[in-house]
Amino acid sequence: MANTPAGNDRPGWSPRARFRQWWQSRLPLTDTWVLGQRNIYILPTRAGFTFGATLVVMLLAAINYQLNLGYALTFLLAGAALVSMHQAHGNLRGLTLHLRPVASGFAGQAAPLEVVLTSPARERHGLGLRFEDRNRFGDANTWCDVPAGGQCSVQLRFVPPTRGWHPTPALVLETLFPFGLFRAWTVWRPAARALAWPQPEQPAPALPHSASTPGDEATRHRVAGSEWDGVRPWRRGDTMRQVVWKKVARGGELVSRETAGTGSRALWLDWTEAGTTDTELRLSRLTAWVLQADAEGLDCGLRLPGRELAPQHGEAHKRQALDLLGGWGDAR
Amino acid sequence: MMADWRARLQQLPRDTRDTLFQLLVIAWTITPHLLHLPPWCGVMSVALLAWRARLALTAAALPSRWLISALLIAASALTFWGQNTLLGKEAGITLLVVLMSLKTLELRARRDALVVFFLGFFLVLTHFLYSQSLLTGLWLLLAVWGLLTAQVLAHMPVGRPTLRRAAGLSARAAGLGLPVMLVLFVLFPRIGPLWGLPQDAQGRTGLSGTMRLGGVASLAEDEAIALRVRFLGPPPAPEQLYFRGPVLSSFDGRDWTRLVPTFPVAERARLELKTSGAPVRYEVTVEPSQLPILPLLEMTPDSAASAPSIAGWLLTLRPDGQWQTDRPIAERQRLVVSSWMQHQHGPLQAVPGLRDLVELPPNSNPRTLQWAADLRRQPLLADADARQLSAAVLQHIRNAGFTYTMEPGPYSGNSIDEFWLDRKLGFCEHFASAYVVIMRAMDVPARVVTGYQGADPDPQDGYWIVRQRNAHAWAEIWQAGIGWMRVDPTAAVAPDRVQRGRSLRAPPGLVAGAINSINPAIAEQLRRAWETANNRWNQWVLNYSRGQQFDLLRELGFNTPSWQDLTSTLILLLCAAALAGAAWAWWDRRRQDPWQRLQQRVAQQLLQLGVHVQPHHPPRERAAQVRQQWGTAGEPLAQQLDELDRQRYGSTWSPGQLSRWWRSFQELARVATKSR
Repeated sequence: MANTPAGNDRPGWSPRARFRQWWQSRLPLTDTWVLGQRNIYILPTRAGFTFGATLVVMLLAAINYQLNLGYALTFLLAGAALVSMHQAHGNLRGLTLHLRPVASGFAGQAAPLEVVLTSPARERHGLGLRFEDRNRFGDANTWCDVPAGGQCSVQLRFVPPTRGWHPTPALVLETLFPFGLFRAWTVWRPAARALAWPQPEQPAPALPHSASTPGDEATRHRVAGSEWDGVRPWRRGDTMRQVVWKKVARGGELVSRETAGTGSRALWLDWTEAGTTDTELRLSRLTAWVLQADAEGLDCGLRLPGRELAPQHGEAHKRQALDLLGGWGDAR
Repeated sequence: MMADWRARLQQLPRDTRDTLFQLLVIAWTITPHLLHLPPWCGVMSVALLAWRARLALTAAALPSRWLISALLIAASALTFWGQNTLLGKEAGITLLVVLMSLKTLELRARRDALVVFFLGFFLVLTHFLYSQSLLTGLWLLLAVWGLLTAQVLAHMPVGRPTLRRAAGLSARAAGLGLPVMLVLFVLFPRIGPLWGLPQDAQGRTGLSGTMRLGGVASLAEDEAIALRVRFLGPPPAPEQLYFRGPVLSSFDGRDWTRLVPTFPVAERARLELKTSGAPVRYEVTVEPSQLPILPLLEMTPDSAASAPSIAGWLLTLRPDGQWQTDRPIAERQRLVVSSWMQHQHGPLQAVPGLRDLVELPPNSNPRTLQWAADLRRQPLLADADARQLSAAVLQHIRNAGFTYTMEPGPYSGNSIDEFWLDRKLGFCEHFASAYVVIMRAMDVPARVVTGYQGADPDPQDGYWIVRQRNAHAWAEIWQAGIGWMRVDPTAAVAPDRVQRGRSLRAPPGLVAGAINSINPAIAEQLRRAWETANNRWNQWVLNYSRGQQFDLLRELGFNTPSWQDLTSTLILLLCAAALAGAAWAWWDRRRQDPWQRLQQRVAQQLLQLGVHVQPHHPPRERAAQVRQQWGTAGEPLAQQLDELDRQRYGSTWSPGQLSRWWRSFQELARVATKSR
C-alpha cells in the first residue's frame, strides 16, 4: 500500500520503534491538543544530570572544607534547578496546539503544516516544534515564543514520500526553558491527513491524441495558437495564452479566445490510454497530462476505473483532478 | 556617552551580544581569584577573554583546536613548573581559571554555554576556600546571577530577548527556589569532613601548640577574627581578658612545646582549681582554627554546672588549665561559658612534678643564665620568694631600655642571650620566654602561656572581637602556698598592649587612608557599620553549625536532638512539600483557562436574565443577543460585552483585566435585573 503509516515500512524495526508505535497508538488523534498534566512528559536532560553531579561534588566540597557558603551556593542552585523543573513543565502546561487544514501537494514536495500555539495566560519562551520521528525528519526544532494571552504560528515542512493520503506525522513540542536542565515535551498525533498528488512524470509525455470519447470526433481537435473561432469575455480560469492581447490593447476589456474545443469538445485523459500497466506510473502520467492540459488551457476530462470527472478547465478543476489521482485506491 | 554606548550595544547582533555578556560574567567570576593566583595565569586569562571579545566584535573565525590544545598544554606546564603538581588546591584552581578562559574560544553555539555554566559554579565555590566574607558573598552572588542569566539567554532562541528580561527570569527562578535553599541550609545535617582535609586547607591562622621566637609575630599582624565574645553580664576590664591557649612548659633552646611529664601520675602537679566570687558568663564564638584548642577566659573550671559543652564533642580541661577538644575545630563553634576572674590553681605545696618546670636545656643561653645567677646572689634577694624575684626581673625590664616592637628582626642561636643582653627589642613572646628562662634559672617553676589577650576597644553589636593580632604570650610562676601566678612581662615594657588590648596597628589601606584624612569620624562610622554587618553575617550565616541546628530542633520540641532527627525533619518537610505539590497538581487539573471560565460565568449570568447563549459564542454575538432580547434596557450590558470582545482581541490583552471586567459586568447585570 502506498499510504502505510510512518515507521513500520522500515525493515526490521527495533524494539524501540515497536515501543514507540505502541505508545503512539494510545494517543488520540486530534487536531486541537490542549496540554495538561496528562500529556506533558518531563525528564532531566544530559546537562541536567551533569548539573546534578556538579551539585553533588560541590556538596562534598562544602562538607569536607566545612564551607557554609558552599552549602548555601549548592542549595541555592538546587532550589533554582527544582524551580526550573516546574517552570519547564509550566512552560507547556495550558498551551493549546491547533493544526490548520493541511494543503495538498505533490509527492516529494514539501507540504507546509501550520500549527497555531495559543497561551491563555502566561508568556511562553523557547518552544520547539518538530516531528516525532527524528530518523525521517531530522531533529531540527522550529522555535517560537508565545506572548501572554496570544498566539504564535509555526510552520513545519512535511515531505510526503509517496502519493496518497498520509496521516500527519506525530509532532513533538518541547522546551528546555529556562536553564536547559529539564526537557518537557508532549507528543501529539494530529487527526488531519495530508493528500499527496502523484508526482508528474518527467519528462512530461505528450498529451494523448485520444479517441476514446465515444461518439465525439471533435475531441481529437487540438487547440493550437492560431486556430480559434471567436472571442468571448475573459472568464476566471482562462490562461494568459487564451487572452487576445491585441483586442485588449484596443478595447481595454479582457477577452479570451473561444476555441473550437471549449465546452463541447474536450480531451479525455483515460486510465486505459496511459500506455502502461503500472498503477503508479499511470497515475504519474495522468498527472503530467492534467498539468499540461491545464497549462494549455484545454478542457479535459479524467476517466479512471469507476470514477469519471467531466471535462472542464480552471484551477478548481485541476485540483479536483489531482485530488482524484492522489487519492486513487484509497478507501477515503 | 551612556546613551551612545547603549545604542551601540543594541546594534550588535544577538549572538555577539550574548557572547560579550558571557565573557563579562566569566571575567567577573575570575577576578577575585587573580589576587592569589600566579601572575601569568591572570595575564593569560585576561588576554584570552579580550581576544575572544575582539573575535566576537569583528565576527571573525574562532581559532583552531590545535591552538587551544597548545595553550592548554602550555598552561599545564606553567602550573606544574610553579607548583610542582597539578593536583593541589592552587594548581587546580589555576587550571580551572585557564580552562574557563580557553573554553570561551570554543563557544560556537549558544549551547556551549553549558560547560561555562558548570565550570563557573565550580570556580565560585573555590573562592570560598579563600574567603567567605560578606563582600565575597555579594560579589559571587552577582556572579551566580550572571551565570544563570547567560543560561536563560541560551534557552531563549527566538528573537532578541533583552538582558534585563533574562536577568529577571533567572532571578525569579532563584527567588522561587529560596525556600528550598533555606530549608536545606537550615536542616541539612552538618557533618565533619568525610575524609582527611588536604594539607593546604590547614594552617589558615590561629595559635599553634608550639612557639618559636618570631612565630607569633606573623599572627600579631593578622586582622582575622579569632573569637567573638558576648558578655551576658557586665564585661570585665580589658586587661583581665586573658583567653588561655596552649601552655608551653618544655624548652629545648629554640622551641617551646607542651610538657611531656617525666614523673608518674601521682607525683605530677594537678590543676586544683579553686574559684571565688561571681562568675563572668559569656557566649563565645570560636572561628575555625583547625586546632583542638578552645581558648576560654582564665579560668574556666570543669564543674558540672558551668563546664562548656559542644553537642557531640568531648571537651576536656587539661591539668595545665587549658581547654581542649577531641577534634580540630573545623567550623565555627558557639558556646556559653562561665569563667571566674578570681581563682587559684596549682598545688599549694611543692610536688616532685614541678621539677619539670625548672628544666632548662644545658649549654643554651649561658650569658642569660649567668645574669640570673648574679641577680639571685644579690644580698637584697637572699631570702626572696618567687614573687620578689619576679618583681626584680620586671623592674629590670622596665629600666634596662627594652623596647616593645612588632619587628624586632631575626634572632638566632642563643636567641635569649641576644635579646636579653644585647638588642633588647622584642614583643610578647620574647619577653615571656626570656622571663620564664630567667625564673627557671633562679629555680622558680615557671611556664609560658599562649592565648589571646584583650579585644577590639569597642564591642560591635554587643560582640567583643578578638582578632589574631590579639594573640599573646605571658608567663606563670609557681609559689608555695599560692600556686600558679600570672605574670605578664610584656606589661612591664608596654602596658598599653595589655591594658587596652591593642597591639600596634598596621597602616590603613589606601581608601581607608583617604577617607580617614577627609573625615575620621565618618571613616570610623563606616568601619563600625561594616563590622556590624560583617558580624551579623558571621553569626547567622557562617557560624551556622550543628550546635545551632540542634538548638533549633530543641525549639521545635526535640528533647535530645541528633542528626537523625535533623534528617527526619528534613525528609518530613520534603514529603510535605511533595504532597502540597501533588495537591496543587490535582487542583490545577480541574482548573480552567480563566477566559473559558469567564465565558461560562457570563453564560450563567445571562441565563438568569433569560438570555440563552451558546457556549461557543464570542462576546459580541452574546451582545447582539442581549440587544435583541432586552432592547435599550440591555444596552449597558451589551456594551460591556462588546468591551470584553475588544479587550480580548485587542493588542493590550492581559488576563488580569478579566476580574475587573467581571465585577463591572455583575454590577450591570444587577442593575438590569432591577430595572426589569
